[in-house]
Amino acid sequence: MIVGLLFAAIAGSLVSLQNIFNSKVNERASTWSTTTLVLGLGFLASFLFGIAFEGKQLFNLQDMKTWYWFSGIIGVGVVTCIVNGMRLLGPTYTISIMMTSQLGFALLFDSLGWLGLAQVPFTFKQLLGVLIIIAGIVVFKFSGSSEKQAVVKATKYVS
Amino acid sequence: MKGIIFAFLGGAFITLQGVANARISQDIGTWQAATITQLTGFLMALLILLLVRDGKWRSFMQVKPLYLTGGALAAIIIFTNVVAIQKVGVTLSIAVILIAQLALTFIIDANGWFGVVKQKVKMPQFIGIGMMIAGVLILSS
Repeated sequence: MIVGLLFAAIAGSLVSLQNIFNSKVNERASTWSTTTLVLGLGFLASFLFGIAFEGKQLFNLQDMKTWYWFSGIIGVGVVTCIVNGMRLLGPTYTISIMMTSQLGFALLFDSLGWLGLAQVPFTFKQLLGVLIIIAGIVVFKFSGSSEKQAVVKATKYVS
Repeated sequence: MKGIIFAFLGGAFITLQGVANARISQDIGTWQAATITQLTGFLMALLILLLVRDGKWRSFMQVKPLYLTGGALAAIIIFTNVVAIQKVGVTLSIAVILIAQLALTFIIDANGWFGVVKQKVKMPQFIGIGMMIAGVLILSS
């Protein structure tokens, strides 16, 4: 359990760093140039790590299903939704709604065991935990200064 | 209303991305999953970039090289995200990811690191993060 939580914390910290770096790029370049660069480098880095750790095994894709080839397109959906959300609602509302939705769908995926992941039974305790986290997000996001929110860009969330 | 739908779907897609990566990793391996999803995402973004024609490639030259490398972090983000989902489930993983993400951004803003505009720390922000941690403790108890 500790490993899982630690890895999630590493992932979240790196998302934060990546968000800041990407928004620096997005200050100068367009949203889609930034997205293309970010995903291109993500591919290159994953490929190099893959070669380093797996060698030729990286190219062994015999259990590949057709839809796996299309899953990367979800990232493009993420950017499109956030760009439009930010434009229509502004960052504070967009990020609060987005994080709430992220947690809500997480709970749904866990309790239904969709896509063949191990099912985590839905309990009242889980619902309570998620609701308190969402309340925390709202308190955090709506207490932050508005200048800070203004620099948030959609490409932050591209990975 | 349209904005709310976009934000809602954006969040759904982010979770779906993590779950899909975890699923694909079970079959072909995590580095394979990361490589393929980033490659197909890159090709799709490139296609859109060519269609909308808003590419100003030269503008990359005005950005500090360090900031251009942010995309490479995705390799480690996907890997750690997949392992976390496999070990503790989607809900707990996403909850901890969001806390770490908000907390580090908060620390960077408070110190003005990476040339971001320094922000004053506000009490309710601590309360917000505290509530999120309390929620995770309830989830994992």
